[in-house]
Amino acid sequence: MGKDIMGLKGAKSVLALTAFLTLVQSVSIILLATWLAEVISALFAGQPLQEQYGKMAMFLFAFILRQITGLAMQKLAYRFAETTGRDLQQQLLQKLFELGPRFAKKEGTGNLVTLVLDGITQFRTYLELIVPRMMGVAITPALIVLFIFVKDPTAALILIVTLPILIAFMILIGLATKKHTEKQLETYRKLSNHFVDSLRGLETLKFLGRSRSHGDTIEQVSDRYRSATMKTLRMAFLSSFALDFFTMLSVASVAVSLGLRLINGEMGLEVALLVLILAPEYFLPVRMVGADYHATLKGKEAGKAMQAMIAEEGLKVGESVLPVGFTWTKDSVLSLSHVNVQHEAEGPSSLQDVSLEIAGMKRIGIIGESGAGKSTLIDVLGGFLQPNVGTFRLDGVTIPGLHDAAWRGETTYIPQHPYIFDMSLADNVRFYRPEASDEEVAEAIAAAGLQELVAQLTHGMNEVIGNGGRQLSGGQEQRVALARAFLSDRSVILLDEPTAHLDIETEMEIKETMLPLFADKLVFLATHRLHWMTDMDLILVMDQGRLAEMGTHEELLLQRGVYYGLMTAEMEGIL
Amino acid sequence: MREESWFRPYIRQHGWRFAIVIALSLLTVLAASSLMFTSGFLISKSALRPENILLVYVPVVLVRTFGISRAVIHYVERLASHDAILRILSKMRVRLYRMLEPQALFIRSRYRTGDVLGVLADDIEYLQNVYLRTVFPTVVALIMYIAVVVLLGWYDIGFAFLMGLYLFVLVFVLPGVSLRITYARHEQMKQQRSRLYRKLTDAVLGMGDWMISGRAAQFAAAYEADEQRVAAIERSLSRWARGRMFIAQCIVGLTVVSMAYWSGQQAASGSFTVTLIAAFTLVVFPLMDAFLPVSEAIEKIPQYRDSLARLNEMRDDGGDLGVDPSATGLPLPAGQAAYIQLTDVCYRYPSSEQLAREVADPQVSNWTLEDIQLDLPQGKRVAIIGRSGAGKSTLLKLVQGALVPNNGEVLINGVPAHHYGEQIASVVSVLNQRPHLFDTTVANNIRLGRRDASDEEIAVVAQQVKLDQLIASLPEGYATPMLETGQRFSGGERQRIALARVLLQNTPVVILDEPTVGLDPRTERDLLQTIFHALQGKSLLWITHHLVGVEQMDEVIFIEDGRVAMRGTHAELMEREPRYAKLYRLDRPQIHI
Repeated sequence: MGKDIMGLKGAKSVLALTAFLTLVQSVSIILLATWLAEVISALFAGQPLQEQYGKMAMFLFAFILRQITGLAMQKLAYRFAETTGRDLQQQLLQKLFELGPRFAKKEGTGNLVTLVLDGITQFRTYLELIVPRMMGVAITPALIVLFIFVKDPTAALILIVTLPILIAFMILIGLATKKHTEKQLETYRKLSNHFVDSLRGLETLKFLGRSRSHGDTIEQVSDRYRSATMKTLRMAFLSSFALDFFTMLSVASVAVSLGLRLINGEMGLEVALLVLILAPEYFLPVRMVGADYHATLKGKEAGKAMQAMIAEEGLKVGESVLPVGFTWTKDSVLSLSHVNVQHEAEGPSSLQDVSLEIAGMKRIGIIGESGAGKSTLIDVLGGFLQPNVGTFRLDGVTIPGLHDAAWRGETTYIPQHPYIFDMSLADNVRFYRPEASDEEVAEAIAAAGLQELVAQLTHGMNEVIGNGGRQLSGGQEQRVALARAFLSDRSVILLDEPTAHLDIETEMEIKETMLPLFADKLVFLATHRLHWMTDMDLILVMDQGRLAEMGTHEELLLQRGVYYGLMTAEMEGIL
Repeated sequence: MREESWFRPYIRQHGWRFAIVIALSLLTVLAASSLMFTSGFLISKSALRPENILLVYVPVVLVRTFGISRAVIHYVERLASHDAILRILSKMRVRLYRMLEPQALFIRSRYRTGDVLGVLADDIEYLQNVYLRTVFPTVVALIMYIAVVVLLGWYDIGFAFLMGLYLFVLVFVLPGVSLRITYARHEQMKQQRSRLYRKLTDAVLGMGDWMISGRAAQFAAAYEADEQRVAAIERSLSRWARGRMFIAQCIVGLTVVSMAYWSGQQAASGSFTVTLIAAFTLVVFPLMDAFLPVSEAIEKIPQYRDSLARLNEMRDDGGDLGVDPSATGLPLPAGQAAYIQLTDVCYRYPSSEQLAREVADPQVSNWTLEDIQLDLPQGKRVAIIGRSGAGKSTLLKLVQGALVPNNGEVLINGVPAHHYGEQIASVVSVLNQRPHLFDTTVANNIRLGRRDASDEEIAVVAQQVKLDQLIASLPEGYATPMLETGQRFSGGERQRIALARVLLQNTPVVILDEPTVGLDPRTERDLLQTIFHALQGKSLLWITHHLVGVEQMDEVIFIEDGRVAMRGTHAELMEREPRYAKLYRLDRPQIHI
C-alpha cells in the first residue's frame, strides 16, 4: 500500500508532516485518557469536585488538540490531493489530444470522460484517505500499546495478540470473498445489466409484442439479482464483522481481566480506567482503514487506469520543421513513401507500403471496400495517426509526420458525422477561425446552403445548436462542416465518407454544394459512394491496405482492375 | 401521485422491514454503549474489592455478551437493510419500466439527448442511498435522542435538559445549519460539474476539430478555468465539513466533562453509587457515534433531488397521442393475410410533441402527413423515400397503430390499426436501423421472435438469413453470448440476427425502416438480397435512403413535407420523372467505355 504515492510531487513533505501530526495526535490521545482516568478515579475516591476543575480543563485541552491535529491532517491531505489531481488532469488532457480521435473511439467517449472526471475525483479521495490512514496505522497503535505496556503488560499482551489474529481473519475473509465474487462475476454482470438492457431494447420488445409481459421478467430478474447480491454481501460484510468482533471481544477481555486484577488488588482503578479508555483507540486506526477500504480501492484502480493512459504513446505537436509561413500552394508537393500502419503488433497491417506523391491543387478520391484502408489513410494524412514505418516530405523537407503544426494549419477535416459543438450556429461555423466577423460567418453559411435553416431559427445564426440546443439533421450537420471549411479557407480538405448515411436527395444536394468548394484546393475524399469518382482528378484505389491502383476514372476503367470490379459489382444490383 | 411518489410509498409498503432495520441499528448502538457502560461499572465495582468474585459475575458476563453481540447485531443489521433496499429497487425498476413501456416507440424522439434510459436506471440505483445513508441514520439518531433525554430525566431533570441541549445542537442545529450553508453550494457544484462533463464530452467527440484547428491548448486552458471554479466550491464545502466536525467534537468533549462533573456530583450527594461515575462517563463515547453522522446524512438531501425530479418528470402516458395504451386487441390468427389500407390519412402531432419534433419538421407545416393514400394487399412491396423529417416514421407509426390519424383511416383487414393494441405484433414486424440485441445468447436473441420456437426452427431461420455457417464457427455456437452491445458481430450480421427474429415472428406484414444505413455498398446489397428472398410472400413497407433494390418493388413512393411527391413503379418513374432518373443515376453510376 502506498508505494505509488511516494512518486508523486510533494509527497515526501506531506508524509513527513502527517507523520509528525499523527505523533502529536497519539500523544494527545494518551494525555486525554490519562487525565480523564485521573478525574474519574479521584471522584470515585470521593475527592471534592472543585479540585478536579484543572484536570477537567486539561482533558478538554487534550481532547481538542486531538481534533485539531486531525483537522490539520485532513486539510493537508486535501490540499495534496487537490494539487496532485490538478496535475494529473492537465497531463490527461494533454495526452488525450496527443492520442487523438482514433484512441477516443477505441476507448469510448463515455469511458474517457468518466475516467477524467470521476476518475480524478476517486483518485483524490484515495489520496485524501490513504495518507492519514497510513500514518495512523503505522504510528498510533504502536505508541498506545507501548504506553499501555508500561502501565499494564497483561492488557497490552491481550491487545498485541488480537491485532494479528484480526488481520489474518480479514485477509482470509477478503480472499474468500474475492474468490466467490469472481466466480459469480459473469452472472452478476448480466443480472445488473439486465434492467438497462431492457430499457434500451424497449422499442424492439414492443415490435416483438413482448414489451408488456417483459415487466414480469424484470421483476424476476431483479429478485434474482437481489439474492445474488445478498449472497455476496453476506461474505463481504464478514470482513467488517471480523473487525468488529475481534475489537469488541478484545476490549471486553481487557475489561474483564482488569476487573479480576482489581479484585485481587494487583492494580489501582486509575490505571484500569486508563487502559479501558485507550483500548478502543488502539484499534481505531485499523478500523478506519477497513471502513475506507472500498473507497481507497476504487481510487487506486482509477489512478492506475489514468497512469496507463498517460503512459500511452501519443503524438507530440512540437515546433514545425517547415519554413516559417508554410502554405500549401499550387506548386507544393507532398510525398509519402513506404507508409505502413499496423494497429496491433501481431495483427494485419491497415496500410501496407503506401507511397504516393501529390502536387498542387487536386481533387483526389480514395475508394475501396470497407476495411481496405481508406479511413486509415485519411487519418495519416490528417496527422491523427503516426504510421509505424514511412517517411513524409513536404516541399522537399522531410517531416516526422503529418501532425506537424504547419501542415495541420493548412487542413480542414470533415468526418462522416461532423461534431456539432454545444454553441451557437455562428460559433460552430467560426470554429476554425474564432476571430471571423459576423459578415464572414453569414457568407460561409450562405455558401454552405444553410440560409434556410437560419431563417427558421428564432435567434438566427446565434441560436444554440448541438446537444444542449436544437438538433440538426445529418444533412444540416454536413452543411455546418462545409461552412466551417469555407470560412477557414484552408488549402487542404480531408473528407471521410461524408454522404453515405444521407438519403439520396440530401446526398445530391450536399454534393452540389461541395463541388464548387473544392475548386483550387487539395481535396482528399474517402468514400465508397462511386458517383463521386467522376468528379475527381485522381483516384486512389485501396485494396487490403495496399494502394492497388491510381489514376483517373477513365484510366482505371480501361485497366479493368480493382476499380473496374467495384464498378461492375455496383452495376449488378440485386437479383 | 406525482410529488415524491418515488419515495414515500416504499416506506409504507416496507414498513415492518424498515422497523426491523431501525430496531437492529438501535440495538447496535445499545450494545456498543452497554459494553462501555458495564465495563466502567465492572472495574469500578472491582476496585471496591468485593469479598466474593461472584459479586461481579453478572457484569463480567454482560461485558462479554455485549462485546460479542454488538458485532453480530451490526452484521445482521447491514444485511437486513440492504435486503430491504434491494427489494425496493426491484419494485422501482418494474415501476419505471411499466411507465416507459406504453411510450416505447416515442422515447427516441421525445428524449433525443444522450442516454436518458441509462441515466434513469442509474437514478434508481442512486435512490438506495436515500434510505441507507439518510433515512436510517437520522431516524436512529432521533430515537436515541429521545431515549437518552428520557433516561437522564429519570435521574435528574435539570441535567437531562442540559444534555438535551447539547444533543439538540448535534441532531438539529448543526444539520440544519449545514443544509442551509451547503445547499446553494451543492447546487452550484452540480451545475458546474455537469458543465465540465458536457465540455469534456464535447471535446472528446469533437477532438479532430480541436486538434486540426490548433485550438487544443485553448480548450485545455478554458477547461482548467472552469475546473478551478469547481475546485473553489469543493474547497469551501470541505472546509465547512471540517469545521462542522470540529464543532461537533467540541460538543462531545463538553458532554464528557459535563457527564463526569454531574456523576461526581450525584455520587457525592449519594444519589447513586460511586461505581456509576466511570460507567456514565465512558458511555458518552460510543453513544455519540449515533449522533455524529446526522449532519452528513441531512446534507445529502439535495443530491437526491435531481434523481427524484427526473423520475417524477417521466410522463406515464402515451394517451395524449390518441391511443389507449391498455388496448389489448385481438390477435391475427397465424398465417392469415393482412390487407392494409390508408385513405385520406392526415396526421399532426399535439403541440407538446411538436416542440420535441421541431427538427423532424423543418417547414413547420401544419400537417406532418397530409392526404396519404396507400393500398397494400397481401404480398405487395412498397418502397418509401424521403428526406429526414418528411414524415416517413410517422407513417410507420400510423400503420403500427401507435398513432391515430386525425383525418381518414388506417385499416388492417377493415379494422382500424390502433384497435389491434399490443397484438399488432402478430400483424406487423419491424426491422429497423439499429435493432437492439439483448445481452443473452444468440439463440435467445433469435427466439425473441417466437418464444416457443424449437432449436430446429431457430437453425432454419438462421440458415435463411445466411448466418448458419458463421454461428457454427463460433466457439459455443448458438449459445454464444451476444456481449453487451453485440460487438462480436458486424453491422450486417447484427441485422441478419434481427431478421431471423422477424422471420420467426412470421407476420404477414414487415416494415423495413432503413435497415442498411451505415453499411458499405457490398454489405448493403447482400443484406437486401437476403431480406427480399427470405421475406417472399409478405407485404413489405420499406423505408430506404438509397435506391439500390427499388427495382424489386411494386411501388415507389416519394414523400416530401408530408405529402406524396412522386409515386409509381421504378420503370414508370424512370420514364416519367427526370428527377427520379437523376437520383437513380447517382446511386447506380453507369460505366461508359
